[in-house]
Amino acid sequence: MNCFGSITRCSLTLALTLLSISSVSAEWTKRGDVRLQLQGFTDTSLHTAAQSTNLSLSGSAEFNRPIGENGNLTISPFFRLDEHDDERTHVDLREFIYRHSGDTWELNVGLGKVFWGVAESNNLVDIINQRDAVEGINPEHKLGQPMINLLLLKDWGEISLFVLPGFRERTFAGQDGRPRGFFAVDTDNAAYESGDEEKHIDVAARISGAYNEWDIGAHIFHGTARSPILTFPSFTPFYYQVTQAGVDIQATLESWLLKSEVVYRSGEFIDDHAQMVNGFEYSFYSVAESSVDVGVVAEWLYDERGDQADNVFQNDVLVGLRFALNDEQSSEALLGVITDLDGGADVFTAEASRRIGDSFKLILEAFVWANADDDPLLSQLQQEDYLQFEIGYFF
Amino acid sequence: MKLAYPTALSMALIMGAALPVQAQTPEELGLEISKQVNEQNDGFGDSTANMTMTLINRSGKKSVRRMRSRTLEVSNDGDKSMTIFDEPADVKGTASLTYSHAVEADEQWLFLPALKRVKRISSKNKTGAFMGSEFAFEDISSQEVEKYTYKHLGEEELDGIPVHKIEAYPAYKYSGYTRLVNYVDKERLIGLKVEYYDRKDKLLKTLVLKDYEHHDSKHWRPGRMEMVNEQTGKSTILEFSDYAFGTGLKDKDFSSNALKKLR
Repeated sequence: MNCFGSITRCSLTLALTLLSISSVSAEWTKRGDVRLQLQGFTDTSLHTAAQSTNLSLSGSAEFNRPIGENGNLTISPFFRLDEHDDERTHVDLREFIYRHSGDTWELNVGLGKVFWGVAESNNLVDIINQRDAVEGINPEHKLGQPMINLLLLKDWGEISLFVLPGFRERTFAGQDGRPRGFFAVDTDNAAYESGDEEKHIDVAARISGAYNEWDIGAHIFHGTARSPILTFPSFTPFYYQVTQAGVDIQATLESWLLKSEVVYRSGEFIDDHAQMVNGFEYSFYSVAESSVDVGVVAEWLYDERGDQADNVFQNDVLVGLRFALNDEQSSEALLGVITDLDGGADVFTAEASRRIGDSFKLILEAFVWANADDDPLLSQLQQEDYLQFEIGYFF
Repeated sequence: MKLAYPTALSMALIMGAALPVQAQTPEELGLEISKQVNEQNDGFGDSTANMTMTLINRSGKKSVRRMRSRTLEVSNDGDKSMTIFDEPADVKGTASLTYSHAVEADEQWLFLPALKRVKRISSKNKTGAFMGSEFAFEDISSQEVEKYTYKHLGEEELDGIPVHKIEAYPAYKYSGYTRLVNYVDKERLIGLKVEYYDRKDKLLKTLVLKDYEHHDSKHWRPGRMEMVNEQTGKSTILEFSDYAFGTGLKDKDFSSNALKKLR
């Protein structure tokens, strides 16, 4: 299914797919959610999108069924309708993937979603899927990636080999969308280093395994960088070619989780450089004889290029507090602040959620950018602080 | 929970041979019976079951969780197990994988389906509430003899059934309990009741195990477990159904890759 083109055509195809799925629902397992989201912006924007509130509706689902003895099909559609931002009104197939399982191997073909990494703040090694960045500031929203993936299962872990035919461009907030920088990204005129443009075939490989308290992964990737350089003055994304090698390691030592992700990146259009995230999470369980768990998260993010880095984490520290009430409603909260150690901006974040009844959940999110006057990227977001309420129905 | 036993007849024979009471201290006798209870659980290979957990608060309001479990027996070590969550809907598809160990820390991973992320998590949290219920993680983890020291307190009758009363002291230093009092059916050697005493040695919870079934004439399994928190008045009922043994699960079915594929 082609979801890169017209939304109408894609919606129709999706609807038909869903219809045919529900008609044979006996064979499918399914889960998903529908969410109503309200965002409130506390400041007047410094760009063309002037709304102080924004309403949107999203839905996601995962349908899964076995096919024959060793086959399996997963279809995961997603949609969002946004009150103001045409770019944020979009559909995607997060997954449309067939899996064939052998005894010591597995072949996955289709649109897939893969997660690599251990860190909380930023997963440097997680390079397979493009970000669906119009969905939110958190990097957890991802677009389905066309892939042929061969997984070799070994006694000591696994080897995962990828051929990635077809590139997904990053989504960005449009002219009428918030939060965003001063200028909306011109996603219609993306440029590429490779003459094959979005048809460049990327390749990747990863080995990983768990050894007592250690979980270790190492990968190599060659292809189109997921994060574009935004060219001035038109804010057109430029997708360069990159070769990236990296490791991700977690040690789980009683209440301590020690985490590290390191990548080395090289290419024609960038200075060869290292990037890393190192940190820990320490948990206090059943605090003061209650059922509440409190976790302390600290991570240091570093990019060797310093001021020349194309991301905001060139020398920053995240400090976070995680609360899990372990009550009947699974109430949780995560408060965090990311501080630029080179005298730059602070980003304050808050996330909280609580189940309501059996099928609903209330989810809050807040972002505040502060002290960002000297930071060319984050200063653009200083007027974009927002509070987001979401009520989700789950099935 | 590992609670499985041979037939009553062979049990009576084992017990007859194993209980020269006068020759043993209460500690030795407590250990001996607990070993027998546990040993009889061996040899099940693997098992699967469906679970329904009903949380009941003080005012009687109920909320329900549904899960499916898979267990693989590992000789000379704790079991490997997986739990897949079906309800409530917001955690549907979430699954956990645990390699339990007798003495060292367990290894534990959690699969978050929306992110496709497998997260290694700390297994130190023994005292925490499982899914907001009255069952702590240490109550539902693989029960190994080495996790406690024992003392035989005596014999009495529980609802007309002759039982051994055995006190168990957690070896794990982060346990939420000072001691457990186990009531073990003398004839069938199955646990019928457990009393949990908190760190201040006050009675915290009472667990009653009932509706035992004898699967494949080999494995005793409770159909229903009722945990009452004596301090808060809250309770949790855990019901088991569709037990199956020897289903052909293998070691590779308990890997982080297998965890991602569960539905």
